Amino acid sequence: MERSIQPKAHEQELCDDLEAPYASERMVVTQPAQANGQELLKMVGIHKWFGRVHALRGVDFTVHRGEVVGLCGDNGAGKSTLIKVASGYHAADAGQIFFEGREVKLRSPKDARALGIETVYQEQALCPHLSIARNIFMGREPTTVLGLIDQQTMNEESMQALASMGLRLRSPHALVSALSGGQRQGVAIARAIHFKAKLVILDEPTIALSVKEVREVLDFVRHLRDQGVAVVFITHTLHHVFSVADRIVVLAHGCNLVDVYTKDTDVDELSDIIARGTLGDAAPTTQHAR
Amino acid sequence: MNSQPIPFFVRFRNIGVLVVLIVLVAGAALLTPQNTFIREANLKTLLALGPEFGIIALGVGVLMVSGEFDLSVGSQLALGSLIFISLAGAGVNIYIAALLTCLLGVGIGLLHGLVVVKARIVSFIATLGFMLTWRGLTEILTAGKVRSYDFAQHETFVQIFTGRVGDTVPSQVIWFALFAIVLYFVLHRGRFGNWIYATGDNVQAARAMAIDTHLVKMACFMIVGFLCAFSAILQTTRTSAVTTHAGTGWELQAVAASVVGGTSLRGGRGSVIGVFLGALIIMVIDNMIVQARLPYEWSYAAFGVVILAAALLDLGIEKQIQRATA
Repeated sequence: MERSIQPKAHEQELCDDLEAPYASERMVVTQPAQANGQELLKMVGIHKWFGRVHALRGVDFTVHRGEVVGLCGDNGAGKSTLIKVASGYHAADAGQIFFEGREVKLRSPKDARALGIETVYQEQALCPHLSIARNIFMGREPTTVLGLIDQQTMNEESMQALASMGLRLRSPHALVSALSGGQRQGVAIARAIHFKAKLVILDEPTIALSVKEVREVLDFVRHLRDQGVAVVFITHTLHHVFSVADRIVVLAHGCNLVDVYTKDTDVDELSDIIARGTLGDAAPTTQHAR
Repeated sequence: MNSQPIPFFVRFRNIGVLVVLIVLVAGAALLTPQNTFIREANLKTLLALGPEFGIIALGVGVLMVSGEFDLSVGSQLALGSLIFISLAGAGVNIYIAALLTCLLGVGIGLLHGLVVVKARIVSFIATLGFMLTWRGLTEILTAGKVRSYDFAQHETFVQIFTGRVGDTVPSQVIWFALFAIVLYFVLHRGRFGNWIYATGDNVQAARAMAIDTHLVKMACFMIVGFLCAFSAILQTTRTSAVTTHAGTGWELQAVAASVVGGTSLRGGRGSVIGVFLGALIIMVIDNMIVQARLPYEWSYAAFGVVILAAALLDLGIEKQIQRATA
């Protein structure tokens, strides 16, 4: 049986930076998966330098409306950097970003958020000693005519937002430190969709979670998709992303490596590619019987 | 959520602080020689002098919630007093002089904030440097001598800041309560207060939600600077003089008041009511030691023990919270 992900010889120069140490390897990308939906976020030829480190070497990345995209790759592949460019944390040194068809400049997280891109970071998302409601409205607190926080609106809307994720918590006043890891992810995701996110980026949402909590988080992702929200799901754990993602993008050494529909591949094939960081069939491990 | 209930005194921390205050007042009343603590004269002195410290402690508490320290409050008080008395002595309208002193206090706070957030010097170290800088500057400018000025000519001004309301309650208490109420609304009921908590609790989360944490911290330093200047005006008006060692030791007493009142040393937790009560506790201990005719050095030991005990208690409470929710 043939491998479903085939390197394409004529696309040898996908890693733009030919001086890069890895350019000599056969860094080849597959045909990008063609989604039916409209393009929501499109990043083209993104480069990012940190001092002398070339973290992103001309990466292309597209997310369609209502699509769940898994973003994978080994440590240092450039996943986090790409996501930080998409969420306005880092400015790209070169490349273009389009959102809903228009070219945009993301100078700060505020810019990204204004477009409807919300990013949920694993450890950085919530304030443990603040209540659920205060976390959900952090930085965007509704106020009464007197300029004071409108606690009642905050409480009601946060319970609604949580319920829309299928998450039933006792009270909006409970401190986040009282929640399980899965519930915390739920609160952070509920916050994102409450503010009408069109694209939610989840950075390692299942890391350090129990099996039951992972299942909760994957359910949250399905809830998001059901509401028409696009999701980028970054993870090391392919099994997690396989159960929810429509498409999987793999980066290696700051370059695109794979872009494939989940249904056209499987966990073994992808984990093998990620581990080797290349599609090249020179390595003996690719010869396993399939 | 299948969590155990949080113990009463952990959930209602301020009630615990209030109980400590009441026990302390009762103890002071019973144990001071001839019960001098609860004599009217002493209570009036306590309520006139105490707020000078309490007002500063409120600011320090809010700053600590944002996750920063200011160890230079005592020095800011001395410098502020010197500026105020110099302006008054130079014939500047007394209200303008007070206003300028407060503005200068805000400016000093801004400088502290800039050094901490822009130069990224840990506030503990940065304000330790400023503690010595401002104290040294005050000493240089006064050449170590007491500066005095007769405020009696500004009758209304004296009445507003150090007079009595209804012939009994010192104005300072009203100011203390007023600042506590204002800061309560700022910290607990306003948007900005939520940003202060978020900044102190998880600065990355706050930043991710587009909260300008640098601005939040600078504003908190400015609040402290303003309150130090205001307290300097109260103190200078009351004593008609400025000494270079005004406010010595207050920086740690203010931290103690905040921690006793339930403010976390790591930021993100604390309340204005707690700091208000904590400041009262420190004021009472300070006064008690004087009334018990113990040498003043005892107060250092007492505050040291209080800080340690409060920090230990805080650790225990944090553990309780985690256990209750695990």
